[in-house]
Amino acid sequence: MEPTLSPAGYAALTILLLPLAAAVVALACPCRDPERTANRSIGAIALGFILSLGLFFFAGDKAIETNFNWLSVGDLKVSFGLLLDPLSKLMLLVVTGVGLMIHIYSRGYLHGDRSYSRYFASLSLFTFSMLGIVLANNLFMMFVFWELVGVSSYLLIGFWFEKNSAADAAKKAFLTNRVGDFGFILGIILTWAALGSVNFTELASAVELGGRLADKAAGFSVLAEPLGKIFQSTNWWLVHPNVLVTLVGLLLFMGAMGKSAQFPLHVWLPDAMEGPTPVSALIHAATMVAAGVFMLCRIFFLLDIPGSHALEFIAWIGGFTALLAALMALQQNDIKRILAYSTLSQLGYMVMAVGLHSPQSAMFHLTTHAAFKALLFLGAGSVILACHHEQNIWKMGGLRDAMPRTWWTFRWGTLALCGVWPFAGFFSKDAILAAALDPAHRNIPLFVLGVFVAGLTTFYMSRLVLVAFCGNARSEEASHAHESPGVMTWPLVVLAVPTLLAGAVGIDAYLAKALPSEHAPHNEGFLNNLFAPFNHNILAAGFGLLAVVAGYKLARALYTNAGRDPLPDKLGVLAKMARDRFYFDELYEWFISVTQETLAKVADWFDRWIIAGLLVRGTHGTTELFGRALRLVQTGSLQTYAFLFAAGVVLVLAWQLLLQSPAH
Amino acid sequence: MSLLSSIFLLPLVAALVVLCIPRNYKFVIRLVTLGATLASMLLALALFAKYNAAPVENGFKFVEKHAWVNVSALKLDIGWHLGVDGINLGLIVMGAIVAFAAACVSREITRLEKEYYTLLLVMTGGILGAFASLNLFFFYFFHELALVPTFIMIGVWGHGENRNYATFKITIYLSLGALIALAGLIALYIQSGANTFDIVELTKAVKARPLPLAAQSLIFPLLLFGFGILVSLWPFHTWAPLGYGAAPTATAMLHAGVLKKFGLYGLLRVGIPLMPDGATAWLEILAFLCLGNIVYCGLVAMRQKDLNLLIGNSSVAHMGFIFLGIASLSIVGVTGAVVVMVAHGFLAALTFGLSGALREKTGTLEMEKLGGLLRQIPFLGAALVMAMLAGCGLPGFANFVGEAMVLFGSWRAFPLVTTLATWGALIIGAVYMLRAVRNILHGPEKSEWAALKDASAWAKVPFVLLLAALLLLGVWPRLLTDKIQPSVAAILTMANTKTADKAARPGDVKKAADEAKQRAVQPR
Repeated sequence: MEPTLSPAGYAALTILLLPLAAAVVALACPCRDPERTANRSIGAIALGFILSLGLFFFAGDKAIETNFNWLSVGDLKVSFGLLLDPLSKLMLLVVTGVGLMIHIYSRGYLHGDRSYSRYFASLSLFTFSMLGIVLANNLFMMFVFWELVGVSSYLLIGFWFEKNSAADAAKKAFLTNRVGDFGFILGIILTWAALGSVNFTELASAVELGGRLADKAAGFSVLAEPLGKIFQSTNWWLVHPNVLVTLVGLLLFMGAMGKSAQFPLHVWLPDAMEGPTPVSALIHAATMVAAGVFMLCRIFFLLDIPGSHALEFIAWIGGFTALLAALMALQQNDIKRILAYSTLSQLGYMVMAVGLHSPQSAMFHLTTHAAFKALLFLGAGSVILACHHEQNIWKMGGLRDAMPRTWWTFRWGTLALCGVWPFAGFFSKDAILAAALDPAHRNIPLFVLGVFVAGLTTFYMSRLVLVAFCGNARSEEASHAHESPGVMTWPLVVLAVPTLLAGAVGIDAYLAKALPSEHAPHNEGFLNNLFAPFNHNILAAGFGLLAVVAGYKLARALYTNAGRDPLPDKLGVLAKMARDRFYFDELYEWFISVTQETLAKVADWFDRWIIAGLLVRGTHGTTELFGRALRLVQTGSLQTYAFLFAAGVVLVLAWQLLLQSPAH
Repeated sequence: MSLLSSIFLLPLVAALVVLCIPRNYKFVIRLVTLGATLASMLLALALFAKYNAAPVENGFKFVEKHAWVNVSALKLDIGWHLGVDGINLGLIVMGAIVAFAAACVSREITRLEKEYYTLLLVMTGGILGAFASLNLFFFYFFHELALVPTFIMIGVWGHGENRNYATFKITIYLSLGALIALAGLIALYIQSGANTFDIVELTKAVKARPLPLAAQSLIFPLLLFGFGILVSLWPFHTWAPLGYGAAPTATAMLHAGVLKKFGLYGLLRVGIPLMPDGATAWLEILAFLCLGNIVYCGLVAMRQKDLNLLIGNSSVAHMGFIFLGIASLSIVGVTGAVVVMVAHGFLAALTFGLSGALREKTGTLEMEKLGGLLRQIPFLGAALVMAMLAGCGLPGFANFVGEAMVLFGSWRAFPLVTTLATWGALIIGAVYMLRAVRNILHGPEKSEWAALKDASAWAKVPFVLLLAALLLLGVWPRLLTDKIQPSVAAILTMANTKTADKAARPGDVKKAADEAKQRAVQPR
């Protein structure tokens, strides 16, 4: 099939390939002037941003698909396909827009680093892969770019690979992601085996077709036989279509668990902060970790097949991650780690929203979160640079006067993250809380959990702001801190705009075009949107704001002008556990060492001593012994031969005469 | 000489030329070798470009056929018969490229160059000849022609104190494997009753009159395990890491990359299409044995401290995917297996080439002694990172395409094995590959390696070539798959033809009934 490219398809292809071209040029001809590499990367993503804006406003809401035949063998047909629908167009804007700011910021942040061009090449490679996930129109292509995102994250976390901690963190991130990908690819294989396609549109129509038949999970019953083979049984619970659909949903969710760092695969994200701060902002806050949530929204129809219980599981995993990460954030002292745990927690919110049958509020929160979390990370980077690479908030203090521009933007970001009206975060978080109260899928425990986590969020973010920015300087570096250059602060200012405004411009209404939703929100103009949450569900908005007030009051009482953290004295062992991340890393290390490492040791021992030793050397040894024994016989002496010959004759005669005779 | 035969006769002629050059003219010897392998590579690429997937009689193109020995009294018919289809086309091109790369990295050899280059050229010609031959006699003869130089090269130019034991072990193992396979081939010749070694004629004869089931179930295991030993099928694999660890770089590249694929090719070309009924029972066992390769050898690789042993074990592990794809007997799986055969050839050559370059520069491959090298040797380091990532199945490299196809294709036939193989592919592979990168390239710079120099421009050529091949096929897999698919389909048609006495077995009747029932239940 020859691809027919519409102008929109051309634009999408250009957006995708520009960063790749920048990366390839940077790698293939490393030019002497690293600034030029940076400019090429920035230019590529800037052009992409402009084209994305064009697509967003002028391409219409109809889904446009472009297919190039990439692989077609038997019934496995994979196209290199681009899908432009409201979902991917919004995500394009997020990735290129936030990405552009971070590219510009990086130019200042990494100025003078000896691997400047390698940095920008990797950043462009990442942008390419991320855009690939966004534009992919089938599961296989998504997996391809999924892996590429994983590897670019590996390269960027390990950017300063001379540091042992950075090299270890990179490896850990890649391997943890691979555990998720293991489930993801199995889920893709099962989906393909059941429904016969990997293309989203075809899968959706297959699911819908199944929906019109009596048995709604019809296609998935094909999986019953092979799965029965695995478990050597034909138990009803394995063959039951609901179980099969749920299983496939959960396997696909495993991919999101890895990329979006959901419990129990959350351990890599805090360590990933070893990378340069703009990388943390782009990859580990705004875009890559959001890929999991994006993927869940993309395949929502597969998770939502009637009979599937995958969404309930997803909701609880998300809620639990949100709570766990918020608790861990309470006792961190590294400014980037606090933000990393808050990212985990917010991703938990998004995943929970998907689980609560509300993918559009997940995407809404993803969008606003991308803006304000990138802002917070870049602000943290500005602080870190000003304090000469000091990351401990207890060695900062008083920065509000020294760094005015960083201060007010960081404060805006914090307000948005806490969910203060009228900042963007309020609206998206409110949408999630409201989803928990939605009568169709009401989940009161998760609503309470969401409100509680909102309070925790305000508490730890207020702690961060009060300790790092207010009060007096606690170290030499902090007292000499001064504002960062314009190349770094202007992106902060630009990002502050969506941080304030993105909540009420009608993103949720736009998303409703692409995603299923029971009560599609309407765009009623900016001013009306500002008050819509209170009209829609006053309970969610009220409790959300209450939690913010409570969290802030508590933090202010504890941390105003505090010299040290008073919380460990008050909470005791709980505080220590929170600081030590509830010992998950240690637990995993122990688990891996008793399972995989032991298996490897056993296999190695078996290989060395049984197969190569006992069997192979044994065979060789026996053969050789046999040969040596036979060699003794061949003496070359005629007398011996004659003697042996005679002895043989005697033996045969004796056998014949003595042993055979009693038979008579 | 026509295109196909000149690809492998050129290196053999060059070997004769090298023999005539005085041993002091080292530069000329090297030039002749490089020229011959380069020319053969270019010819192979031309062959690839000219090949189209349009169907022809018997499925083979570029056919060359001459009578050679035909003694009717002895019922002996050995003819010169060459040809390519989608399956051996990729292997020949890959082999020719790897051979050129191997000739390039042979600069490390500093003694007895004349003998070395002669053997290298003979090995190259033998490998390519074996893949091009459509007559079992030459098929086997050319393989032996390539195998014998392997042993000599490891023994004479090998590395490490284990060299002699390694030579000894690899010789015995591979000779044994080849002998078992030979027994199988001779039995096949006799049982078919067609009095010909010609694969095309044999195929026709078997199509007309299938071999009796008893003969099939005796001959197929001979071929399976004979060829299996040559491919380091678990548990007959221990020669491979040891042998490759001791071999000179070029020999390891050529053997692990190209010659090892001979067994797989033989299985696919001869074993499965000619003895489909013998195969069905044994392929189930093969599927479980290949877990020994993928999972077990992967775990063993995790424990290695020497880079070459790690690569050797990982190369054994990758063979498992090919076996799994073949065992699945599905078009997706077998096509994927052929893609992995080609991709792994490039990858094995790349990794052994890089480890050779590393050993030449540092004198050691103990990973604990190395560390922080990426800053000193950015090119070799980056190439090694790419090779390692390709080895753990990163999209963009050809290995991913092949392995993914194998996993997709074998799910229906062997769900449990596929699940475990996915674990091996995604997690175990990544663990040891990244561990190697972490220990060798990452980490603080060490003072003893401060003076290390990166590869010179000429030394980069083979690595760039191999990486480019991996990337090209990874980004544009249809370049290969469109050519492979029709040939695989032809083989699978034969493999899935049920003979009369098979259907008569009670177990199969029951299975067929079950399948019919299953189909009735399925809505689609």
